[in-house]
Amino acid sequence: MSDQPVRAEGLTKFFYDESRGEIRAVDGVDLGCSRGEILGLLGANGAGKTTTLRMLCTVLEPTAGQAWVMGHEVRAEPERVREKLGFYSASTALYPKITPRETLRFFARINRYPGARVEARVDDLIQRFGLADYADSRVEKLSTGMKQKVSIARTVVHDPPVLIFDEPTVGLDVLNAIELRDIIAGLRDHGKAILFSTHIMSEAEQLCDRIAIIHHGRILATGTLDELRDETGLHYLEQIFVHYAQTAPVAMADASRGGGRLAGGPE
Amino acid sequence: MRPGSPVLTVFGLEIRSLIRDVRTLLMSVVLPVILLPLVLLASARMEGRQAERVESRTYRLAITGPDSAFATGLAADLVGGADLEEGAGRRFWMVDVAEPRLALDDGVLDVYLEAFSPDAWGALDPADTAGVGLGPEHEGAMILRIRYHSSRTGSRNAASMLQERLVEVRAERRDSILVHAGFTVPPQLVGAVDTVNVASADEVAGARLGRFLSLILVGLMLLGGSAVATDALAGEKERGTLLTLLTTSATRTEIITGKLLAIMAVALGIALIQVLNLWFFLGLGLIEPGSGFAVTVSPALALGLVVLYLPVVALTGGVLILTSAYARSYKEAQLYLTPVLFGMAIPTLAPIMPDLSLQSAIVVVPIANLAVAARDVLVGQVHLPALAAAWLVTAGAAAWVTDRSVRALHDEELITGDPSRESFLGGPDLFRKRVLRWFLVFWAVALLLQFNLPIRDVRLAVLVNVGLVFVVFPLIVIRRFQLDPRKALALRAPRPGVWLGVLIGAPAALLTGLGVFELTQYVLPVPAEMVEGFGQGLLPEGVPAWQLILLLAIVPGIAEELTFRGVLLHGLRRRFGPLGLAIVVGLIFGFFHFQLFRIPVTAFLGAVLTGVTLLSGSIFPAMAWHALNNGLALFLATIDVDVEALGWWWTAGAVLLLGLAFAIIWWNRTPYPDMKPANRERPG
Repeated sequence: MSDQPVRAEGLTKFFYDESRGEIRAVDGVDLGCSRGEILGLLGANGAGKTTTLRMLCTVLEPTAGQAWVMGHEVRAEPERVREKLGFYSASTALYPKITPRETLRFFARINRYPGARVEARVDDLIQRFGLADYADSRVEKLSTGMKQKVSIARTVVHDPPVLIFDEPTVGLDVLNAIELRDIIAGLRDHGKAILFSTHIMSEAEQLCDRIAIIHHGRILATGTLDELRDETGLHYLEQIFVHYAQTAPVAMADASRGGGRLAGGPE
Repeated sequence: MRPGSPVLTVFGLEIRSLIRDVRTLLMSVVLPVILLPLVLLASARMEGRQAERVESRTYRLAITGPDSAFATGLAADLVGGADLEEGAGRRFWMVDVAEPRLALDDGVLDVYLEAFSPDAWGALDPADTAGVGLGPEHEGAMILRIRYHSSRTGSRNAASMLQERLVEVRAERRDSILVHAGFTVPPQLVGAVDTVNVASADEVAGARLGRFLSLILVGLMLLGGSAVATDALAGEKERGTLLTLLTTSATRTEIITGKLLAIMAVALGIALIQVLNLWFFLGLGLIEPGSGFAVTVSPALALGLVVLYLPVVALTGGVLILTSAYARSYKEAQLYLTPVLFGMAIPTLAPIMPDLSLQSAIVVVPIANLAVAARDVLVGQVHLPALAAAWLVTAGAAAWVTDRSVRALHDEELITGDPSRESFLGGPDLFRKRVLRWFLVFWAVALLLQFNLPIRDVRLAVLVNVGLVFVVFPLIVIRRFQLDPRKALALRAPRPGVWLGVLIGAPAALLTGLGVFELTQYVLPVPAEMVEGFGQGLLPEGVPAWQLILLLAIVPGIAEELTFRGVLLHGLRRRFGPLGLAIVVGLIFGFFHFQLFRIPVTAFLGAVLTGVTLLSGSIFPAMAWHALNNGLALFLATIDVDVEALGWWWTAGAVLLLGLAFAIIWWNRTPYPDMKPANRERPG
């Protein structure tokens, strides 16, 4: 386990909400993701997916527990952690006044990608993501699908070993969502360790090598789809998810006091 | 900083985004470029037209009063001849009106003159003659009164010119009498008076321009920089790009530095453009400005001004980005910007204050100090040590503000909009976080009350401004943050030995404070009349001694202590060590004494009282010390002791006694509870 690019032990985050009091958004999460693997974080809205991922990319500081990205602890070495990962979510936007080419250059340089190789890398990604026709138009003039491609390209432009996708298909039409999933699968095939959060069962089924079911801030089960099927005796992921959610200890729900949308994320 | 570094990358992005945003570009660059020449042209034209109007205007004058016959006699002299018709070159046109006052109100008249014999003047209602100082030398003289309407420029000019003309007529008549009485030499040759202005035209113009240059430049920098700053963080939050940026490997400091550089570049660019504008339009004489702006700006002077304004640029950029960091959206940032713009503009008005020298307390006020320095540079009177100090103070303030912005990017509450633990839980934890913010607002409210309450009676004013305000505030704080009153106000019994320290320490601290006052005179000379005036205001005649002691010693001793050594010290106790607490609480206490010359002495007293509270663990010794201090000061003022004559030996002795008092309190100490542990790292 220790050579896994992403690892978390007892990761915990409390939030405070006027109407619901202290919320344990993430409560002692343990997880690990290997190279060339997509680990799906499957949970309902407010389960703690976004908060977990934001702690992993050092935007939020854990209340307790530890997490490592490529061996760097998130609290001790936040800059080194961010160097090794690319973070993408539906709420991470692009700069409207610059072009896709400038966007990629900007994110390559700010992520300290070797200066001499920036142009070649940018050109390569423009070709690979089919952005050539729009590479020098301003981002504000691109369609949603094109923006999505630019966003993914900017996430991987510095060639990080770890990629985090937080509900990336939210707001996308079916075709764009399929294209996006194909791109992510391709990245996995290039050896990236990928954390992929979603509340869409079919997406998790099709894309993820292993699935961690998260509910009320806690991981209830982790395994391949087959392992989860064997453990529950149920076939469909939706049934499996409902099974775990309904049999989760009552104390857990009490501990998290509330549920529903959690502060800290777009969920 | 190497090319391609995160700082320069962020900087490049900001500048590129600015250049491509037409609206921002217009507000940031184009508008400021056009504005200054327009201001200069408008100023020149307005001044010219005003002079022309004053020169060519004939004012409508009426003469009235019980002795109008005498005044009418003057009329011919006033209008310059027997012809009373309106005409070219005539300054006054006599108008016959039945009700001059109504005519003046209605604008039919510009001004009217009332003439009184001494008897008629004496018969007037005293309320009507109040404030007119007539000495024995005026006995038997006719009295002339000019009435005008100050809301109209024409009326103001007419009054001023009429007064000048009356003085001339008086002199002409006096000379005529002398000649008729056989005075052989023409009176105007008895003694000629000439005045010579030794200031060069450039110095005069520099002084005038220097008064407003900083206001104009900072205003333009704020206008231009605010558009970039608002987008830099608040705009990023709203768009969702801030999260993208925060997940890159750039540090928060690199992000803020890159953005700050961009804001500074725009602000500095605007400042440069304006200085070049000045040089171009004024130095080359392409514009004929009003006399107030006709200063020769050499390239060296222009460069000097740019260097001088660099910290102002940095501070302006820092404040703007901090404002943007604290806003959760573009709209919220714009909401904050209005008070920020006004707040930043106020210190630039410092050069307008008459005879304000850079070698005064103004040197420690960021922006205001460099505004005064810029005026001095334009006049050609540069005091290098003071100028260097001013530059460093404003640069230091800029560095501090930038550091706060970096910290703001670490604040999850600001990044995500989720309440922090303290904000959520409220109560004492939140008070610790917000105590300085609350005192800043309280300071502003106290300042407004101090100078705007329409209370003439000193006793009532003290009761409200001290007794009421400083008692109500801690009560509000205690209620709002659900503080335990005993803890928040340090309501604990001290050990008995402490009282001996108080008895020795209070007079010793008072005398030491007088020494502090004498020391501050070297930096901030205070006119004796100002101190005397303050003392007289506090010691009105006819107020019994017991009331003075109650209002000026006991009430402040109790009320101010509740606020400063009570809730303020309680709120800050875990933020600073004992020395830091004494300094910070002392300074805040000083700043609540709004007269500038009182701040150092009261800050010293505040620091001493904080020390007493920290050592005794109780507010009561500080209350007694404070009341004793004020009571003794009152006593000294009443018996009119010349404290300056006491000499430094008294101060040295007082310092020793003060040390003894603290030693006694130390021996009988009960440490203030729940202080910041000595080895604890600074949070944040």
